[in-house]
Amino acid sequence: MTTTGNTSSPASGTATRLRRRWPIWLFRITITAAAILAFNQAVFAGQFLSGTYPALRLHRDMANYTVAAIAASIITAILWRRAGAGPRWPLPAAVALFALTALQTFLGYRLVLAVHIPLGVTVILLLVALTAAAWRPTR
Amino acid sequence: MSPINRRTALGIAGAAITAAAGIGIPFVSGLTGARSTGKLLPSRTPIPPAFRRRLTIPPVLRPSRSDTTTDYYDITQTVARAGILPGPATELWTYNGSFPGPTIRSTRGRTVKVRYTNNLPVPTVVHLHGGRTPPDSDGYPIDYVYPTDMSYYALHHNPQQMTSDHGRMTMTGGDTREGRRTHVFPLDQRAATLWYHDHRMDFTGPSVWRGLAGFHLHHDAEEASLRLPDGDLDLPLMITDRSLDSDGSLLYPSLDPTLVNRPGVRGDHVAGVLGDVMLVNGTPWPVMTARRGTYRLRFLNACNARRLSLRLDPPPPNGIAQIGTDAGLLAEPVRHDHLELAPAQRLDVLIDFSGYAPGTRITLVNDFDTTAMGQVMRFVVDDGRPEPFKIPSRLSTTPPLRPEDAVVTRKFDFRAGDVDDHDGWLVSHAPFSPDTIAARVRLGTTEIWQLNADFHHPVHLHLSPFQVIARGSEGPGPYDAGWKDTIDLRPGEQAKILIHFDGYPGKYVFHCHNLEHEDMAMMANFIAT
Repeated sequence: MTTTGNTSSPASGTATRLRRRWPIWLFRITITAAAILAFNQAVFAGQFLSGTYPALRLHRDMANYTVAAIAASIITAILWRRAGAGPRWPLPAAVALFALTALQTFLGYRLVLAVHIPLGVTVILLLVALTAAAWRPTR
Repeated sequence: MSPINRRTALGIAGAAITAAAGIGIPFVSGLTGARSTGKLLPSRTPIPPAFRRRLTIPPVLRPSRSDTTTDYYDITQTVARAGILPGPATELWTYNGSFPGPTIRSTRGRTVKVRYTNNLPVPTVVHLHGGRTPPDSDGYPIDYVYPTDMSYYALHHNPQQMTSDHGRMTMTGGDTREGRRTHVFPLDQRAATLWYHDHRMDFTGPSVWRGLAGFHLHHDAEEASLRLPDGDLDLPLMITDRSLDSDGSLLYPSLDPTLVNRPGVRGDHVAGVLGDVMLVNGTPWPVMTARRGTYRLRFLNACNARRLSLRLDPPPPNGIAQIGTDAGLLAEPVRHDHLELAPAQRLDVLIDFSGYAPGTRITLVNDFDTTAMGQVMRFVVDDGRPEPFKIPSRLSTTPPLRPEDAVVTRKFDFRAGDVDDHDGWLVSHAPFSPDTIAARVRLGTTEIWQLNADFHHPVHLHLSPFQVIARGSEGPGPYDAGWKDTIDLRPGEQAKILIHFDGYPGKYVFHCHNLEHEDMAMMANFIAT
């Protein structure tokens, strides 16, 4: 599994073991976007807790975009696995994060802050870890 | 390094730059936070120059008649035109034609009865802020006084437009009258700087913005024995921020400019409306000649949403001595170098101008803003002889309430939330409804209320003043001394107050005094029995 020549020219590989490069880049882009959006949720939360009202609206809107970016990561994780012969872990990881952020959004609207804040920290930690893993050089 | 690894390395660098920018830009742009929860409404006319016009003091209202127990007053709510700008006149809603309205001065032991006549186009409600007032005279938000001339109201009122539950409430119930209503104020309470203003449900913000506010200065024997500065040395200063349209009229972002049907303001102004013209007693950035004596300045923040941090520049050589607050005199003077005031709060201070050299120009600045709103007014010291005054070391006997006497602890959350599918404000997850009772209290008992805020919420209780016992894990703040009727809650803050319920049985409200928050349903009822 140390072949390198086939990736520079997708047409040269076989259909089953083909390692296309574009799916991993799609996953990297979507998961990085999700991580940035999630970290900014902490930034906007801090700002509206400092009295900046528009930051509350941003916090609310960006929650949707964060969930959307993670939903997109589920798709790109499938593509990476199927079309890019990627590893197994991205798909269950993205699905789990999707569930966590959906719960996180719900708890935010319901003002269950005792759970919302630690869960938010957890989501950011997991997304950063997932992003770092996605950027690891692949052979 | 292989081409793939180089590409990956470039990707990592790109992702790192994207992350740094994507997080850094919003982070830095919002780093300062906000001193007031609200959105600036820029005037559509050049703002008037500062320190050109003289400060005026609202006229003291004379009773129409008096008997052995009671002074009777008449106040007519009427449209008036005032010269706020150098250009066209500004139409205001006023009490007796002036903004601020006429000052009522009362003394403990004498009842005040005020007959209000509503010659405005819309219904009104009058509340004496800080008054210990029976419920039928307290200005409950749906105790409307309908206009003497109903033609405007009849023309614009559209029952079909009242589609929301919250809105429909505005047209039902309450102790309504037509044309006029007499409020009875027993005023069995300590000397204090009170004020009266409109309190109509859903439309308090625009009504006060248009000018429906005035001072009510209450006196008692304890205060008289102190021989505090009086006459023209006792200065009520009502600070309001306003915005003006190009035709000179007051600008306000109402969803329904007729102020008859749909309540609310546009967009993020739901956070509060901040003006860009600073008025003191109705005059933009006024100037006053000060005697070289000690003045009693009664600061009232009558802004809809703007918080103030007041300081004299240059500072008075003998400092600022706070002697009173919302509900009367402090036990002893408290020294400050600046004064923080949330909407509806009052601070009574003594300032000795004899320490300044004659001719000194002193600017009252507002450190919570950096624009023209960072200035408030100016004093110019005259060249008279210094008039000595000794600040009393003891002011008043105010027995502190004891937390262990509280019979119950209640918790209320003041937070943003949806009201009829629009952005609004809630008290413990509920929008205001005249029919929902948040607390039932017993007169003669003491309670602890824990108040939690998400943004700045100046929380005001009707009927009974309170003492602040804690902010977060700390004790009271520097401006919490004495008896308050409004507490300045800051974002994310929780405070504990001790309330001694006392007075009259009935239904009263407590609410956020950011008037846009109040209009957008951040209000609740308590019933005292």
